[in-house]
Amino acid sequence: MRDYIFAYGEYHTGKLHPASLEILTPLREIADKLQKRLILFMLVDDSERLKEVRELEKALCDEIWYLENRELKDFKDDLFGKVIVNLIKETNPYGVFFPATLQGMALAPRVAGELEVGLCAHVNSFEIEGETLYMLRPSYGDNIIAKLYSTTFPIMATLSLNAFPIRENTKKPELKKIKLKEPLNLVSKLRVRSIKPVKREPNKLAVAKVILAGGLGLKTKENFEKLKILAEILEAEIGVTRPLCYAGWAEEDHMIGVSGVTVRPKLYIGFGISGAIQHTIGMENSEFIIAVNIDKEAPLVKMSHVALIVDAEKLLDALLRQLKEGTN
Amino acid sequence: MLVKYSLTEEQSLLVELIKRIGEEYIAPFALEWDEKESFDNRPIRALADADLFGIIVPKEYGGLGMGVFEMCLAVEWLSYYCAGVSTTYAASFLGAYPLILFGNEKQKEKYLPDIARGKKLCAFALTEPQAGSDAFGIKTTARKEGDYYVLNGVKQWITNGGLADINIVIALTDPAKGPRGASAFIVEKGDPGFSAGKKEKKLGLRSSVTTDLIFNDCKIPADRLLSREGMGFMVALKTLDYARCGAGAQALGVAQAALEVSIKHAKKRIQFGQPVYNFQAVSHTFAEMTMRLEASRALVYQVAKFIDAGAKDFSGASAMAKCFATDQAMWICERAIQMMGGYGYMRDYPVQKFFRDVKCLQIYEGTNEIQKNVIARELSKVYK
Amino acid sequence: MRIIVSIKGVPKLETVKVDPETHTLRRESAELMLNPFDRSALEIAARLKEKYHAEVIAISMGPPNVIPLLREAYSICADRIILLSDRAFAGADTLATSRVLAQAIKKLAPFDLVLMGLKSADGETAQVPPETAALLGIPSITNVKDLFFEDKKIIALRETEYGLEELEAEPPIVASLYPKLDYFRPPSFKRLLEVKNRELEIWSAKDLELSIEKLGLSGSPTRVSGVFEKKFADKGEIWEGEPEELAKRLITLLKEKGFLKA
Repeated sequence: MRDYIFAYGEYHTGKLHPASLEILTPLREIADKLQKRLILFMLVDDSERLKEVRELEKALCDEIWYLENRELKDFKDDLFGKVIVNLIKETNPYGVFFPATLQGMALAPRVAGELEVGLCAHVNSFEIEGETLYMLRPSYGDNIIAKLYSTTFPIMATLSLNAFPIRENTKKPELKKIKLKEPLNLVSKLRVRSIKPVKREPNKLAVAKVILAGGLGLKTKENFEKLKILAEILEAEIGVTRPLCYAGWAEEDHMIGVSGVTVRPKLYIGFGISGAIQHTIGMENSEFIIAVNIDKEAPLVKMSHVALIVDAEKLLDALLRQLKEGTN
Repeated sequence: MLVKYSLTEEQSLLVELIKRIGEEYIAPFALEWDEKESFDNRPIRALADADLFGIIVPKEYGGLGMGVFEMCLAVEWLSYYCAGVSTTYAASFLGAYPLILFGNEKQKEKYLPDIARGKKLCAFALTEPQAGSDAFGIKTTARKEGDYYVLNGVKQWITNGGLADINIVIALTDPAKGPRGASAFIVEKGDPGFSAGKKEKKLGLRSSVTTDLIFNDCKIPADRLLSREGMGFMVALKTLDYARCGAGAQALGVAQAALEVSIKHAKKRIQFGQPVYNFQAVSHTFAEMTMRLEASRALVYQVAKFIDAGAKDFSGASAMAKCFATDQAMWICERAIQMMGGYGYMRDYPVQKFFRDVKCLQIYEGTNEIQKNVIARELSKVYK
Repeated sequence: MRIIVSIKGVPKLETVKVDPETHTLRRESAELMLNPFDRSALEIAARLKEKYHAEVIAISMGPPNVIPLLREAYSICADRIILLSDRAFAGADTLATSRVLAQAIKKLAPFDLVLMGLKSADGETAQVPPETAALLGIPSITNVKDLFFEDKKIIALRETEYGLEELEAEPPIVASLYPKLDYFRPPSFKRLLEVKNRELEIWSAKDLELSIEKLGLSGSPTRVSGVFEKKFADKGEIWEGEPEELAKRLITLLKEKGFLKA
């Protein structure tokens, strides 16, 4: 009973989503402490291609399980949910965890809903006290972290993206094909007609060396445009806080924080960002932090290496002018 | 606002909704539209979805059945965000009034419900290259041919030209009779021989569209005649009497915005070690600006309510509201720039836009000189 | 055709307070606004209503201060508005919330479509739409960009990491909507006037025939054991002064650290 910890491996046409490897890092520690077996499980339609996925050889888990069926070719929320629910019912795992990818966030709640068990979202660290597994996530509003636990089994959560570094296994985990005891009627009420591939640039923000981030303290979109000019000079990427993203100044892939991107640049400069936890959780591991804010008491000022107590707009104007003069 | 007006619940709700639309669909983009001289349909679509094109349309035709005062409130607060957008909006009323005031039952049923829902935009076409203030000098003709009228001529500087689905056009059916030979017609977008000219480049109101309307043997069914032949100028003048308050209301909105932007700046801008607002030359200017704005608002509101109360002769009153409010707004916007100094002159800041926008209000819908003629004429009727 | 839209009131950030005992948000005292993500659900519902003359029912679980938001839903597109409110609902996690929504939706059967925002701006879990669908035993599709009907089938366009997916589904389904649409309509003035005189339906736990232990805090399998503030040591330097001077110092620092070419 409850011998396993499951991690969902998001697999799509011969590729494993790297976030599935990220979540193995904290789960490995938990599995070791609680003496559970860590299983990376996948629903696939082409095991031949799966076997060629090199990353799996170094995945930080004890075993890799896959269920294979032609119907599992495209992700269908209801069908995938049903298969996982049955897998859980037959194997009684201690916990089931998903990366907070779009697919993970579509799937985990379907499973939790059907099993009527608890599910925590966007967990970015764990604590174990006695027998209890605590899951930590930033909370809305003030600068607070909520510490959660689940009263039901399996314990379920989705884990924040980029929150954990991928670590490699020293030995190759065993790849096992598994079958459900109870044969399932693998029929979905959904049918994928087509997927138009979108050429998506890999998110530059997550790997950027220098990030200039803007918040509401920039006041106007014109000032935000000035920040972009400065970013060009510094060869930096632009990050934003949630309100700016919702105001439509920047696309969501520029948003740093809880439901956005987690960043680790060498230099982070926050312009007019007070530092709500939704944002700081995504940038606190930056190597050097500079805050530009009129409020000396702002959380970002407190966590920065250098804080400039000045109006972000005025500083931007001065910076751009001086840099321009410098090149002339 | 130092003078507060008690509005009904409906009127407050109206103002609230306009402000909401202004904040969301206009404010973030107004400077960009001005800079690029581009028309954006989104605020117009939002006003349509909010039923706000139906303000003056009677309830039996799907409108809100409200009065000139409510129209003024809507136009005022829309102008606070962008006078270009409010020009597109108010010009549509200019085209709708003739239908409301002079349309027959069939015409009202055909056009008003779509106008009320914002599905069809209107325009009003009187001005011609040779006939501006001298409106009686129009040359566009409408010749009756069986069950049709055939229009020929050019209308100039028509707001919503090419955008409007419904165009009210004043043309001569009997050139021999002079002004008494003019008639009003409904010309629809797509009517044969009807087209819009190129978009004019303007000093201000740049998010609105102004073009010529060209009638080249434009053939329209005879039932597009509004009222009777010979009533053209009656239709035009009555329409302008109603709509002029709207131009005054536009002035209120722009002046309010100019006042707010410049006063906020003056209270923040430090020179000689203190906010410039502390200097009497500056604060007294704001006192003067506010007095002029509040006096304008009082006049515009009062005239609108006067019309709504069922006044018969209000040409002079509405001319005063338009002329006074727009002249004051021009002065207020000019002072707003001066109070902001160099900032006021820069295109990164909005007051220069207010200044350019407000200039047109002294010119269109009858120049302020013509308004004074109207006031003087009405005055001499009273003091014989 | 019947469409159910579930909306949520989220606290305005500056007015949020946390209950010291339960550590959940005190929604009763906070000023609420419509969850910004729900605008997509209302806009798509309005478009479907125009296209297919669908009946739109808006529901919301929350304290009575969500009533203005239901009225807003009415002024945008809803024909009927129902508040799901009971003291027993307080402190619900996503599962306990989904139970209430699923039960209310069941009572409104037959329906073709349930629309919700992708997530809420406060919790940001994005869990309620799929959990509700799972409890109803119907499919869910998340992150839907557009949706229409074709021969009694629902066609949904979903944004995924692998591309834009076109899905076909047999109704009924629950769809959560992608937050960005090209246009969101404002409320209709006429309907704003109308809704003032309209009676609001309120359903309690009893109306929904739900047993208390499945609801609210006691029915929530996820528990908050505590909240703690993130504290940062004031280890950094504070620079104060005129913008020009600070800009100069910053440029020097950036050059020293090699982020700017000297």
